[in-house]
Amino acid sequence: MLSVEGLTVRADATDLVHDVSFAIAPGERVGLIGESGSGKSLTALSLMGLLPEGVTAAGRARLGERDLVGVPESRIKGLRGDELSMVFQEPMTALNPLMRIGAQVTEVMTLHGRSRQEARARSAELLERVRLPEPAQIARAYPHQLSGGQRQRVMLAIALANEPRLLICDEPTTALDVTVQKQMLELIAEVAPALLFITHDLAVVASVCERVLVMYGGRVVESGPIREVFTRPRHRYTQGLLAASKLTPRGTRLPVIEGGVPAAGRFPGGCVFRNRCPHATPECETPPALTGDGHAFACWHPAD
Amino acid sequence: MILYLLKRLAVLLASTAVAAVAVFAFMAVLPGDPAEIALGVNATPDAVAELRKQFGTDRPAVAQFLDWAGGLLQGDFGTSYVTSSPIGPQIGDRLGVTLVLVLGGMVVALVLAVPLGTFAAVRHRDPLGAAISAASQLGIAIPAFLAGILLVFVFAVQAQALPSGGYVPIAESPGEWLRSLLLPWLSLGLVQGAVLTRYVRSAVLDVMREDYLRTARAKGRGSTGALWRHGLRNASIPVVTVLGLQLATLLIGAVVVERVFVIPGLGDLLLNGVAGRDLLLVQGVVMVLVAAVLLINFVVDVTYHLLDPRLR
Amino acid sequence: MSRRTSAKANRGRMNAGLLAGGALVALVVLTALVSFFWTPHDPTLVDAAGKLREPGGGYLLGADKFGRDTFSQLMVGARTTLYVGVVAVGIAAALGVPLGMAAGMTPRGWLSELIMRVNDLVFAFPALLLAVMLGAVYGAGTLTAMIAIGVATVPAFARVARAATLQVMVTDYILAARAAGRRRGAIALRHVLPNIGSMLIVQASVSFAIAILAEAALSFLGFGTRPPTPSWGRMLQESQELLFSTPRLALWPGIAIALAVLGFNLLGDGLRDFLDPKLRRIRAER
Repeated sequence: MLSVEGLTVRADATDLVHDVSFAIAPGERVGLIGESGSGKSLTALSLMGLLPEGVTAAGRARLGERDLVGVPESRIKGLRGDELSMVFQEPMTALNPLMRIGAQVTEVMTLHGRSRQEARARSAELLERVRLPEPAQIARAYPHQLSGGQRQRVMLAIALANEPRLLICDEPTTALDVTVQKQMLELIAEVAPALLFITHDLAVVASVCERVLVMYGGRVVESGPIREVFTRPRHRYTQGLLAASKLTPRGTRLPVIEGGVPAAGRFPGGCVFRNRCPHATPECETPPALTGDGHAFACWHPAD
Repeated sequence: MILYLLKRLAVLLASTAVAAVAVFAFMAVLPGDPAEIALGVNATPDAVAELRKQFGTDRPAVAQFLDWAGGLLQGDFGTSYVTSSPIGPQIGDRLGVTLVLVLGGMVVALVLAVPLGTFAAVRHRDPLGAAISAASQLGIAIPAFLAGILLVFVFAVQAQALPSGGYVPIAESPGEWLRSLLLPWLSLGLVQGAVLTRYVRSAVLDVMREDYLRTARAKGRGSTGALWRHGLRNASIPVVTVLGLQLATLLIGAVVVERVFVIPGLGDLLLNGVAGRDLLLVQGVVMVLVAAVLLINFVVDVTYHLLDPRLR
Repeated sequence: MSRRTSAKANRGRMNAGLLAGGALVALVVLTALVSFFWTPHDPTLVDAAGKLREPGGGYLLGADKFGRDTFSQLMVGARTTLYVGVVAVGIAAALGVPLGMAAGMTPRGWLSELIMRVNDLVFAFPALLLAVMLGAVYGAGTLTAMIAIGVATVPAFARVARAATLQVMVTDYILAARAAGRRRGAIALRHVLPNIGSMLIVQASVSFAIAILAEAALSFLGFGTRPPTPSWGRMLQESQELLFSTPRLALWPGIAIALAVLGFNLLGDGLRDFLDPKLRRIRAER
């Protein structure tokens, strides 16, 4: 349903995301993990056509038969909020402070051709569906009267309003309290049609997704079914990441990855991870390709 | 909201009262007795005392103040010691002229600043956006009276298209009235428009970076549509504040512009009053201008609260 | 994210506005300094023979209706402008900064409320009205103009000092100093003032520009600098009746005022970007 091929995101002459390819089938829940600066958010924003000023995307991304990348905004905006929706990281600032919640929910429906009346009735349903208590009261409230968790539910209601084919969530729970996080994740897993879930939190991915893409330095370095990738990581970066998150059984070595994530444009040529990798050899100066069926990885010296 | 309104109203009334005391006290310090001034140097002490009694200036300051302030409440500004004519009607006549001048200037400023500032923000990376910014920076540096002189030079001296000064009441000839006000409006409006353009630009720029604008686009709006529907109202909040400050500035700017264009407004009345040592007149005009500034601040605060639900 | 990095990149980098503003201000200051030692002619020398002399022959910009050399008048006028600006901004800062800081350090106290209310009240008395009132009592002149502009500018300083102080007061090092039992006065002087200093410098620059405008307007109305001391505003006023015959007399002082104001405005904006992009949150008050 969603297919991305050779997606590259650039600011000036720097590649922030390089040659990323993946696909999402209907109903599938895919996680995109990586540290900040790995390019995961830019990947998502480029699919929505919402890249910041001065940042451009190239390559090919299609949702069904419609192109998402390299088309003018006038052609892609009909898809946004309709077939393709997104929930952002920061619920506190994502809603218009001067507009009532109800109006902000109905807006996304009237924009895509529903009548005002129908939209209003449906917005009450939606608020209920994302488990907001007293939907009628919430609809009349302004954003500042709601908690962060409530606002994120509203964002989710907006995203689901037109029954999209794909929901993109960019760290939707990072800004929330731990207790609220869990409820939110369960809700997303329950209501999402097909999901691209972006996070730096491995535990979160494990609880929501079936398949995972690991990004580092703007590239996908490993991908595959959650269970396989997490129990048997092949790329050395994934291995380090898992070790650092203590998801692996106790006693394994390498608790942290040496060094820090380089700034954009400062990644080494060849394998982007080689300057931090304990297994790097001169061979790693040649970029490794992402290979493998199902469970794929881009590493010259994979772990077993 | 009602509570806020009442509280703010109380502050307005209290400030106006304190301002009245301040204005009165200030003028009371003035050396020189109105009665002595009126009668000249050769007056006999008896005659001066007599006139003092007639003016009421022989009474204690507090009594005089209460008298004056009580009169103000009824729209009575007292009778001039110099011209012996009542001050209230004079102020009333002139206030209308000044209001038309100020509001016209504000309209010019808004008509210029809102589109230009928004455009400069949306196109802030283009040379054209930068050019608007630079032009507004230059416009701020030109005082209204200088703008007036320049406009007179261009439109009255060179082009001979408009009068260089003078004022024609609307009842006399609406066309001439308009012609006599065009240049004064422009002098006030161009300068204030330049200031406002900068504020509109920065307010819109701030809003353009807000997350909720991205949300609006994620809902399916184009970037222009998102800015239009969600951005401008948010951007208007800081602009309204500046607008209020500017109205106050315009009121004072009008005093100077009236002098440039020989327009019989409040400023002209004030300066004539000072020149003629007509204290009560000066006191009255100053009070009206100060009250107007306080009232504008009040309206701005209330509007601000109406626009922003977070403050309600 | 991109916003943060670009703000960081801007910090400490000279921008075009700062350079242009600095250059214009330096030009005005230099002109004023030179005028103490040298002007082409005596700027106050009335010379009936040289009435409305055309530019040229030692009179670079010509002479006015009294035969006074325009260029020399402009040079000495720069002095007047700076003098009024420095004193007015000095008065405003000396009164406004302590008041604003006091209000910012006791945000919920009655003192803060009182200061801000009085502030609002003073704000209702613009420089021009104060100058007219002062002029009516003490006779108009440079001194009354300076005091009027200074007092009218106090609220701007107080507001900015308060806003900046409020921001500083919640930072960790102030909390630490307060927890350590430091006296308020000591905290104000050692911790708050240095941290709001850059904002105050920006405000001073912007206020200076406004003071120049106000002085020009007051002199234009006859409530500023008295003759024969040259002043740009009065030069404009004197030139107005000759606008039809000798427009250059209005042109030069007009350009001088505009350039000086432009300089201080650009300097203020540039300084704000240069000193700390975070300051953008607190705008200088006009």
